[in-house]
This record gives sequence, C-alpha cells and structure tokens, in this order.
Amino acid sequence: MPAAEALYAAIGELATDNEKSPFHFEFESNDPSVLLRDFLNELLILFERDQLCLKAIIESTFTASRLIVAGSMAPVNLERSVFHREVKAITYHELNIREVAGGYEATFIVDI
Amino acid sequence: MADNYTGPLERIDATRWRIPKSYKPGMHVDGVIYADDALIAAIKQDKSPEQVANVACLPGIVKYSLAMPDIHWGYGFCIGGVAATDPQKGGVISPGGVGYDINCGVRLIRTNIKFTDARLQMGKLVDELFNTVPCGVGKGGIVKFSKPELRKLMTEGSRFVVKRGFGWESDIESTEAHGCIPDAEPDLLSDRALSRGSDQCGTLGSGNHFMEIQVVERIDDANAAGAMGLVEGNLAVMIHSGSRGLGYQVCEDALQELQHTPRKYGIELPDKQLVCAPIDSKEGKTYLGAMRAAANFAWCNRQIMTHLAREAFSNVLGLPAEKLGMSLVYDVAHNIAKMEPYDVDGKTCQLCVHRKGATRAFPPGHPELPDRYRGIGQPVLVPGDMGRASYVLTGQAGSMEHTFGSSCHGAGRRMSRGAAIRASKGRNIKRELAERGVVARARGRTGLEEEQPDAYKDVNQVVDVLHSAAISHRVARLRPLGVIKG
Repeated sequence: MPAAEALYAAIGELATDNEKSPFHFEFESNDPSVLLRDFLNELLILFERDQLCLKAIIESTFTASRLIVAGSMAPVNLERSVFHREVKAITYHELNIREVAGGYEATFIVDI
Repeated sequence: MADNYTGPLERIDATRWRIPKSYKPGMHVDGVIYADDALIAAIKQDKSPEQVANVACLPGIVKYSLAMPDIHWGYGFCIGGVAATDPQKGGVISPGGVGYDINCGVRLIRTNIKFTDARLQMGKLVDELFNTVPCGVGKGGIVKFSKPELRKLMTEGSRFVVKRGFGWESDIESTEAHGCIPDAEPDLLSDRALSRGSDQCGTLGSGNHFMEIQVVERIDDANAAGAMGLVEGNLAVMIHSGSRGLGYQVCEDALQELQHTPRKYGIELPDKQLVCAPIDSKEGKTYLGAMRAAANFAWCNRQIMTHLAREAFSNVLGLPAEKLGMSLVYDVAHNIAKMEPYDVDGKTCQLCVHRKGATRAFPPGHPELPDRYRGIGQPVLVPGDMGRASYVLTGQAGSMEHTFGSSCHGAGRRMSRGAAIRASKGRNIKRELAERGVVARARGRTGLEEEQPDAYKDVNQVVDVLHSAAISHRVARLRPLGVIKG
C-alpha cells in the first residue's frame, strides 16, 4: 500500500467516490523488483484509463517470484481531486527492493 | 538526480569533449559531448556523461555516442543523446534511445499579428487557449477515436486529421516526414496502448509540455526568417507535446518484450534500461513498426492542437485564422529513431539514428526538405524556458558530418523537479513570470514551480555552442508572452 500511495502522491491529492469494486492481481517474475513495478504499472493504467484508484488491500502475498494483491478500487472524483502532474510510466531505472525489519523498502522512479 | 560524473572528459576543441572508448570495457566508440566550458561544468553535475559512455556499448554503433549541449540525465540514454547504429554491422534499436514519449516534438505557428496590437488582449488569448486546448491530468480530447479509426490515423499520420477538418493542407508539407513515417504497423500495438490513446489525441499533457504565445524578438538571419514568414515584433505560437499515453504504452510494452532479448542475441549491456534488439530481428522490427505508429499519432496530436490554437485566436481577435496568417512554420520530432542515409568511410549506409531529446537538423539542399526550405536548411525549433527565450535555427552542413543530422532540442534541465519545487518555496512563480511579462496558466498545482525558468540551463548558451560548431545556425529569437501548461 505505501508504494501505491507514493505513486498517487506523485500524481496529486486524489479524492475518490464511495462506490467500490473488487480487484485481484497476480504477477510473476524472477526479479522481485519487477513484481513491484508491474503492480504499480497496473495501478497507473487503471488510474489513467479508467480513473480508478486503489482503496484497500485485503490480501497480499509477496514472494521472490510472485505477487498477489486483492482488494478494492474506487472511482477518482476528478472535480474534487487536485492534480500535480501526469505520470507517464514506472521505469526500470534504479528499480530496487530490499527486505528490512518488518517489511520491504523500495525505490522506483517514475517518468513525468 | 544522480551523483556527479567523475570519469574522463578530454577537450577536442572549443565546443566538443571526448569520453575515450578506453574509459570502460564494452565501449565500441568514443563518446562526444557538445558543450562550452561553462556548460560542461554543469553537465558534470549529474551522471549523464556516464550514460553517453553506456550508449557507446550498444552493438553496431557508428562513429561515436553523441550528446548535445542540453544533455541531462535520463533513463538509460541521456536526454540530448544521439546514436546511430548500422544494421549491416549488427546494429540495434533501443526503445530507451527514443524515450517513453515517442515523437515528443515541437511545432511553431507564425502569425501576422503585431505584439503591439495584441498586447492588451494577451490575458484573453491565454485564457482562451487554456479553455480550448485540453491539458493536464485526466483531460480527454475533443474527439474520441475508435480503435479502427486510431489504426487508420496511425497509418496515415497528419493527413488523417487534416482531412477531417483539423488543419490546413499546407500544414502537412511543413511537418517532418509530412507527418507520417511509412511502414508504421498499428496492428502491433497492444489493446492497452490503443485504449490509452483513444481520447488523448489533441491533448497537451503535463510535465514540460506547453503551448506558448511568443513574440519574435530578434531576427538573426533575415533571409531564413523571411522564408519561414517570421517577422520581428509579430506573435507566434509554439506547441510542445508528444504521443501521450499511447506512446508511453508502446515504449512500456517494448521494454517488457525486450527484457530477455539482449541475452538471446548475446548482447551485454551496462544498464537494464538500454534493452535493445538487432534492427533486422523480429523483435527489432516489431518495435520499429509500433514506434512509427506512435510517432504518427503524435503528429496528429500536435495537428489537432494547432487547429484548436487557431480557433482560440480567431475567437478572441474576431478574424479567421487564415486572415491572421497562422500558417505552420515547421513541426519536428525530438524523440524518435529513423533510418537515414549517411556517408561512413566513403560509403553510403542506412543507419538507425536514435534521437532522444535531439532535433533533426538537415542542412540546405537536403532532399527531404520542402522546397521553401531547400535553400536555407531545415527549421530547428528550440524551446527554452517560460521566462527567457526560444530559438528558431536552421540545420547546417556540419550536422551531416558530425552529428548525424541532429541538433539540440531545448535548454536542458539543470535542476531536478524536486529541487525546483524546493527552490520555489516562499515564492510565487506565477507572479514572477507576470513581472517578466509572461501570463501563465497551469492546471497542475506544482507545474509552474517544477518548470520555472531557473530549473533550466540558459538556452542562449546551448544555442551558441551549436551555432559556433556549425551544426545549426541562429535565425530568430522568440520571447514568451503567455504559456499554458497541464
């Protein structure tokens, strides 16, 4: 969730409507950092194309080769949101994820 | 941004610096950076020279890995980079050498309108542009294309939208490649790319994209300015945008698909973001076909916005755009890869020229130029920053000899966006711009801070280097009067 929040914070202060819809993502890769990138990329597309924003994560499994995330999305209210900038893509540049006490810490760079 | 560059930089002459190929294993050619003493000091403040050296490791690279004076740090390739690869020698195509925003580029529209006559209308003109041209996050275009229409648009390029009333027939001739690169393959685009593009054609976007009203402040070459219709004291409109979400997705899809390609072809790369494929391979041809389609989309995007700008001016000034003389001077890409012929060791070779943040700059006499520019060279459009100036140059013979027909594309950032926001603390950039005579409108909350003039190098210095090096020649300097941003 913090990675998603970081992405949304780059875009702006997003307000959402109450209506929620469930989602379920599964990603596979031998590189854990690519799993994170793919997840964020999915969120970016859903934001740009469908104006949907992640609201809650109900289930997540993160292993060295697989990321499963399930939860709910909500429509972004374009009128009430304050936008900072458009994010073009989640890049591979200096993409990094490391295990720390109690979780993971990641670096990703977005193209704007 | 990244750390300083501490590797070698050997002076070649007053405007060029060499990174010798002995600098790191895997470099096939030298790196060459165009800069004067002041600019090279700024350039060393980030790792972009290291990226020039990394690009020199690409298979089949010819002569040198180049960077223009507006070089700054990018993803894989630096911004301001030029690399030509030879398919006959295993040369590769790299999506990172084009960038996410395929055919990001600039166009300039001239007018008959004297600044002195329109001075009092400037606020109205900027407001009308801001309300007419969709810009910023989540703003769709005035026309939504179905997927079959999008495929046709990407095959036909600018002509597709001009036929539908978005512009004039003469716009097509004044656009690089007539607004259509042949051999585009829209069928290779993913559904996701098409859906990102369906309502974004004719939208400005955000970041460093802009539409600007400018005044022709100074003419340096009266003959060339005359051929372009530029008159000192008259207004012009500059548009900077690209292929929007559709192009970003084409790049994204290619980066995914090419992840394992270097290993397949035994290519060792110093940076993952430089993934590539041999030009003649299936993977290379797939990317090129999709990239060309996205490039054609970008020309349509700028073409529709040209139509909207003409409408906005016409609405405010009460005259048709034709009466206002709003013809297109030129439109040129600065994020693209194209097959072009060059002399290499006495032989003419078709090379794949990657320009990432670099503008094509063909010299006088080049067969690809429209008749009216054949005698003066191709217009090279160089936006500076919101507060200082932009330039119109022409390509010169030196570009064919030394830079694969390329010149700079702008001033080049000298501050990261974060640093620019920090430097804006306690300031009102919109008011500062107004004090400099620039009316600014932006949808994003931080857009003006991130793009403030201090965030950029001085475009005068950048242009001076390439003028001195006989790569491109100064024609006119334009001063910003009004700007809209996403």
